[in-house]
Order: sequence, then structure tokens, then C-alpha cells
Amino acid sequence: MGFPTAPLVTIAFKDLAKSNAASRGMPLERICFTPHPVWGKTDAEMYAYLEGNDPVTGKPLMKEITDALTLPLTADEKKTGSVDISTGPPTYTDTADALQQYYLDNGMTDFMQIVLPTDERLAAMLKGTSHKPDEIVGKMSPARGSYPDWQFTVKHVAINAVMAGAKPEYLPTILAIAETGLTSLSSSTNSFATAAVINGPIRDTLNMNYGIGAMGPFSQPNAAIGRAWTMLSRNLSNSGIPGQTYLGTLGNSVNYNNLIIAENEKNSPWTPLSVQKGFKQDENVVSVFVGFSISQGQGGIGLGVKPVPQYHEAIAYNCIPFGPLFGALIVCDPLVAQGLVELGYKTKEQLADWLQKNSLISAKNARSTLFAGRWVPDANTPDDALIPYYRSPDWYNFVVVGGQTNPYHMVGNMSYRVSISIDKWA
Amino acid sequence: MPHLRITFTPHPVATKTADELRAYVEGNDPVSGKPMMKEIVDDLTVPLNAEETKTGMVNVSVGPENYGPDTPRNLQQFYHDNGMTDFLPIILPTEEMVDEMLAGTSHRPDEVVGKMAAGAYPPWGYTVKQVAINAVMAGCKPEYFPTILAIASSGTPSLFSSTNSFAYAAVINGPIRDKLNMNYGIGALGPFAQPNAAIGRAWTLLSKNLGNGGVPGDTYMGSQGNNLNYNNLVIAENEGASPWVPFHAQKGFKAEENVVSLFRGLGIVPGQGARGTSTDTPKYEEQFSDLFSVFTGFFGGLVVADPLIAVNLKARGYDTKEKLIEWLYKNTTQTVKDYKSRDFAYGFDYPRALKGLEPYATWYNMKDDEVIPRWPHMNDINIVVAGGQTNAFFQGGSLSYGVSVSIDRWT
Amino acid sequence: MNRRKMLSLLGISPALLAGATVDASSKNPKTAARVAPAKITALNPKGLPPPVQLVPMAPRLASLDGKTIFLVSDGFPGADHFLAQVALWFQKNMPSVKTEYRLKAGAFADDDPKLNAEIKASGNAVIMAIGH
Repeated sequence: MGFPTAPLVTIAFKDLAKSNAASRGMPLERICFTPHPVWGKTDAEMYAYLEGNDPVTGKPLMKEITDALTLPLTADEKKTGSVDISTGPPTYTDTADALQQYYLDNGMTDFMQIVLPTDERLAAMLKGTSHKPDEIVGKMSPARGSYPDWQFTVKHVAINAVMAGAKPEYLPTILAIAETGLTSLSSSTNSFATAAVINGPIRDTLNMNYGIGAMGPFSQPNAAIGRAWTMLSRNLSNSGIPGQTYLGTLGNSVNYNNLIIAENEKNSPWTPLSVQKGFKQDENVVSVFVGFSISQGQGGIGLGVKPVPQYHEAIAYNCIPFGPLFGALIVCDPLVAQGLVELGYKTKEQLADWLQKNSLISAKNARSTLFAGRWVPDANTPDDALIPYYRSPDWYNFVVVGGQTNPYHMVGNMSYRVSISIDKWA
Repeated sequence: MPHLRITFTPHPVATKTADELRAYVEGNDPVSGKPMMKEIVDDLTVPLNAEETKTGMVNVSVGPENYGPDTPRNLQQFYHDNGMTDFLPIILPTEEMVDEMLAGTSHRPDEVVGKMAAGAYPPWGYTVKQVAINAVMAGCKPEYFPTILAIASSGTPSLFSSTNSFAYAAVINGPIRDKLNMNYGIGALGPFAQPNAAIGRAWTLLSKNLGNGGVPGDTYMGSQGNNLNYNNLVIAENEGASPWVPFHAQKGFKAEENVVSLFRGLGIVPGQGARGTSTDTPKYEEQFSDLFSVFTGFFGGLVVADPLIAVNLKARGYDTKEKLIEWLYKNTTQTVKDYKSRDFAYGFDYPRALKGLEPYATWYNMKDDEVIPRWPHMNDINIVVAGGQTNAFFQGGSLSYGVSVSIDRWT
Repeated sequence: MNRRKMLSLLGISPALLAGATVDASSKNPKTAARVAPAKITALNPKGLPPPVQLVPMAPRLASLDGKTIFLVSDGFPGADHFLAQVALWFQKNMPSVKTEYRLKAGAFADDDPKLNAEIKASGNAVIMAIGH
């Protein structure tokens, strides 16, 4: 910025602040720390922080702040130039057991048994794509703009695919997910979850599960592809270091394997998601989402109505707790999709239209939610005004999956980010 | 009754009109191709054949005691292909590894731990050694073994047969959390610690192999499946940072006892969308209530709150979890009309109301616009404190408390 | 049809218990136990971090007396109240220091060029409250 600055950060973010400063070129930035939290404290409590000590250094806080602005720079602080970041040696050699523990202890796994990535296994995995090992696939960071992007090659992705237990035929799908640049371990304190919807004939080529238990631990491609996403998010973008690049206060269990959803295209009365996004039906595509995870819709209003459950009402109702940060991802069993068609929603777009028009929230309620500014930017909007949850129907996305044992659905406060061709990586 | 005379109808039956159902009845059994009503009448009248009149015991084999020798790669695939894993790489359970795991308990390998069924099926029984095999597969260290044994002894599977795709949670209390170095700070529910990951995973593996759960179409009918089944919600309570009594102490255990408490329900979701999240003086109890206001009351409400929230609530007068639970119960309500329109109410509560069971009987007699609680009982609500205090957030789950089991018993 | 599916269809209470062991190593367990496990070589799974360009820090002020300090919030809840207390502290303890409160525009990590220009034009230093 060009002027002396004393950044103030609460102690909860100590590791993050320091590593962030270092990664942005100011390893010696004069950061001052306050106790945590600041949010919710009274004026008197906050003033007491100022009259007390920096909890990290133990020094009086205000003196530290004024010193930060006035004490002359040291020789180290005046340094310029470029510093390479090392990620360690290219290989590790030890017994299999010791290596498992080494990868785990150094934060390179999801804390479970991996397939150790030997040269031989890497070579076998690389047969799953025609692309060269050194080709750059893309870039990713724990949060765009807040952390530097790391880049990665086909070889890097393949190593992580081996670790996750993937077969070579899963590699193009994993490469496509990597290309989206969406980390499955967002740094946010919010503990976000991610989803990947797979469309196209590859679902059957790989024998993906889109029937009973679709989102659960019942199929190798679903499990391994999902796990690979978190594995590569950690290793290829430096996501997932608690306190530094991962601040999710509670964490999210979905991060282990992510929501891998192969759309049940043949039992769906609607257009597949990929086709809605501009691809042809016979193209293999992965579409990724991020948000707060999904919850089951059972118990929703209108589901017990006879003879025809009011699925659209239940979906709208189940989306009430959503906030404006993300859109709505609706995951319907084929029975629900068919039921919705019979209720008059012949296309996903028609349902999105109805939901968008009929999902309203009072300005008063909207104002008290996180990121209220996005919802009610105008301070003059009266409290009792009813505003739509979403400005346009395209905030709603739908995917059909399930084994038709019962007409159930799930809803997630999650936003669509991008669709990437899997065929490109074959 | 392997020869039970079953007649199949098209699917589904629920949501079909009377005309459509009549068409089913007048049509054919889609499996046998025979006219349905004739088949039903024949089933009731045609005399039993010799096979159908057999009696006696039939032993069920679960296969040979060991597999191999073969390459590790082939063995991995064998376990996957025979439904014995979660489809992720396992640690192949050799005799040596199982012996190491068995050293994690003083209980004898052939001691029966318990029995488990994934629903209305005959339960399978299992020994300490059987549980050890699955613990090895999941990547557990021997020091995790007593916790796994405790979970196994409860007989609660983490994969249930229902079409609902249930999720399960295990709350861990006591000094064992620190002994095992469990994570209850930043990323508590996520993939950031070996004990959390392995213990959760072991529960699903043993549910498949020891409880015969998770066979799609047979012992698992969850229409869409649940991602949470991979590792389950393993929640080590952040007792040190919590201003309240730990969960197990609420259930009658001493603070220094090591306990695992199991929950079952639909899932869990972050509460950041709730009303009241963004004010200078947040009222967290209102946020909880807001999130739960659209959840079914059929399962309990489990709040997993970051210590920042717990500390704030206590300072505002919620001295105990019980006080907060009482407020939540009184202030999270629904109209009778809304209640009756839910699928669980019609399917499960209504028959109970007819039997005179409370509160359902009273609720079903009330007027549509009257207001009733979200949950049938106040103790359907539970609160656990976990998290790394980077922000005052919580997660809310439609999860019912089942049972608490002593881990110490299995050391 | 796999073995487990078959067992399920039979639906009969099993007399035997589930689980299996594996003998993946040599036929003679005693021999296997005496041989040290082989070492293998595995690959580093990490990607390519960009090099870090060191950014020189701005020269410090000789003293704060008579200077203008901008108190900037990145928008996290409570920051405005906190910086108000910082302003109050200066009023009480270093009254010659002038403070100006500003809320940085945009998301947490975004730059605010307008604000930067204003500070350059009329300020001498910044105390920035950073949170989430």
C-alpha cells in the first residue's frame, strides 16, 4: 500500500496471519494480536484488550502498535527479491508402514490408509490419460485471492489419484475435477462442503452408482473419485492445514469423500445437468458445487399429503434455512422427479421458476442473516417487505439420483461453479 | 423360510391413485409374469411341496477363515468385490496385524462382544477378534480398539436398511480424547486426525461385515445414500473449552470415565443461514431454533456448537445445557396443520395416536391452527460442544440419541 | 452374485461368525517374521507453489505526533466497534494523533484502490483490523 501499516488480528488467526504474510512476501510484517474474539464483546471489554497485552508477545498492545508504525525498519525488513518455496524431496524411501505414517504425519492424507504412490503405480495410473505427465492441468488455492494459487501437472494429479485408491480409468474424471480449480477444503471458518455431479456415458463405463445408496460407500469409482478430490486439494493447493490454510471451526464430515453424484439420467424425466450447462448428452462432464452441505428432505411440509405429495412445496420449505451466499442444489430421487412432472413441472427450468417466485423472505429476517448485505442492499427497504431468496431462477440447480425405493429428495445451500469436460482428459 | 411364497407388485405403491393400484392388482406380478390375483390365491391354497415342508437347522457360512495367499493388490480387489469394504483402500488384516490390535484390549479374542442387525433381520454375533479384524482394515491403531469395541458392543450399525439413508454420530467423552490425540478443535468433524477418521470408518466396516449391513437392495435400501456413512460423525466433545457439563456426565457417567454415545438420524448441516446470525448481539438460541424450525421432529435435535457460542450462552444466563434445551423445546414450534402434512407424521405418529400414545394422541385431536412443539419430548434435544473457536458457528442435526457405552469396560 | 448377497437372500441366522484373515506373506509365518520388511520408494504428492516475491515494507514514521492514522476495518463483525475503542484510546493517550475510521470496500481480501488513494493523499499510517 505504500504507507506504514499495523495489522491487527485476533490470536485465533495467529498462524494464518503469519503464514499468509510470509506467502505474500512480507514474512516480517509487524502484525499485532488481540485476544479472541472481538465480535460480541462490549466496548469496555474491547478497551480492556487495548490497555492489556498482545497475547502472543506479552507486550503492551498499544505500545506495540505505535512501535509498529514508528520503529525504523531492520535490514531484514528492507530485503527484496524472490524466494522459492520448497515442497520437500521428490521421493521418500522407507518401509511401507513407516511411509504410511510419514505421509499421514506430514499432512499429505485424509488421515487414513493410502495406496503408496510408487513409480510403478504412477506409470499404471498415467495410462488412464493420453495427456503428458508434465502438462499443466490448472491452478487452485484454499481461497482465491486470499492465498496464492499453486499449479499442478497431470503427474501431480495422478500421484494423488493413486493415493486415493483410484483406478487408471478414473483419472480423466479426477483431472477434470482438478481443472475446475475448486478446492474441496475451503479455508473459510464456515467449513464448506463440495459436490461434483457426473454426467454422460462414463457413469456406466466406470460402473458408478446412481441407484440405491448413490451418495454412500457402495461403489469404488464414487468413493475413490471423491477421496481423490480432497487428497489433491491438500497436496496440490496447500489446502487443509489447520490454523493456516484451513480455519473451519467445526469442520465438515462431507470433506472426506465429497458429494459425488452420478446423475441417474436413464430414470430421470428431465434434461441432465450437463446438457443444461450447454454440453451434449453423450459428452462426459463434471459439474462442481460448493456450499453448506445437503440435508434430507423427509419431514418437509406437504410430503404427507394424500394422494399426491406436494414435492415442490416440500422443496421450497426445506430451503427456508438457506442464506444468500449460495444457491440451491436440489437432489431428487427419480420418483420425486417423476412426481414433479405429474404436478406440472415438465422441466427443471419450470420448477426453478416456480421456486424462485414462491420462495420469499421478509427483509427483516434477511437482514439478520450472515451476508445480509447481499440480500437487502438497500437500507430503505421496509422490514416487512417480502423479497425473493434468489434474484433469478438460475440460482437453482437440480440433479436426479437414487434407487427409487422411496420418493425422497435432499436440498443443499450450494452454488454451481463450473462444468468441465472429462472427455478432454481421456 | 427360503421358499416363502412372495408376490411382487410394480413399484411404487405409495403416491399411486386408486385406479393405478387397481391396474396393478388386475395385472401381472412383474417378477414371475403371472396374473397377480391368481398367484396370490394359489399361494394360499396350493399344497406345500416337499422342499417347503422341510424343517431343521441350516448353517450359514460366511466363507473361509482366510483368503490368499495372493498379491496385496488382488486381495484388496477381492475385499472390494465381495462388499467387505467402503470401497477405499483397506489395511489387509493379516494374523500379525490382528494380534497387534488384540493387544489393545485385555478381553480375550473369542469373547462375544455383541450382536447387530441392520434392521428387521436376524442379528449376527461377533467376537473381539472379529471386531479387531475390521478395526485393522479401517486403519485403527491398537489404542483405538477399546472405543471400537464399545461401539460394536452397542449393536448399533452405522448402515441401516431403511429407504431413508440414515446418518450416525458417535460422541466421545472423557480423558481418552486426549490420550488418543483426538481432534476437537479446528476441523473437528472433518478429515484432520487419525483417531477421528479411523474410528468412524471402523464403525461402517464392522456394520457391513459383522452386522451384515450395507448390501444394496438387500440389507440397505437407502434410496439416495448418505455421504456421512463413510466416516460417520465422530465428535470428540471439546470439554476443556466448554462451560457446560460434558455430554456423558449428563447421562450419568463420571467426568473421568471414557464413554461413547451414539446417535441416529438424517444428517447434520451448518447453521450459518439461520436468522439472527448477523447481529452485534447474537442470540444463538434463536439461531438454533430457526435452523430446527424446518427440520422434522421425528428425530431429535442435536446441536454441535463451537465453544464461543457455548461461552456466550452461559454468560447470557443459560447456565446449563438443560436450560437451553428447555428454551429450545418451548420456542421451536409448529402448527398442527403443518405437523400433519409431513410424511413422518402420517406414517409413524398417526398409528401411535390411534393407539392412544402421547403426545401424538393429543396432537391429532387439536385444531389445525393450534401450536405444538417441534419434538414430542424435551429430551429429544441434545447439545455437544466442539470446534476451534475461529468463529461462533454451530451445526444442527436431525439426530436422536440412542445409547451411551463405557469405553473403559473394553480396555 | 457375490457371497454376501447370497447370504443375505438366504436370510438365515448364521451359526458362524463373520470376518476373515489374510495370509498375504510367505507360507511359513516364522520365516516371514524374521525377515525385515523391504524398503520402497514413494513419490512426493505436492504441487507447484509460486515463488514468493518479497515486498519491501514502507519506511516508518519518526513519531506519531500530529499525524493522521486511518483505522481501517475489513468488514468482519465487531471490527467497527473495536476500532472505535482504538480511536478513543488515541484521544485519551495521544491526543495529537488524528484518527479516521474507514470500512474497506469489497470482500475481505479485496484491495480498495479508492481508499488507498485517499490514505496516500491525506494519511500517514494505517491500523487495519483484519478478521472474518
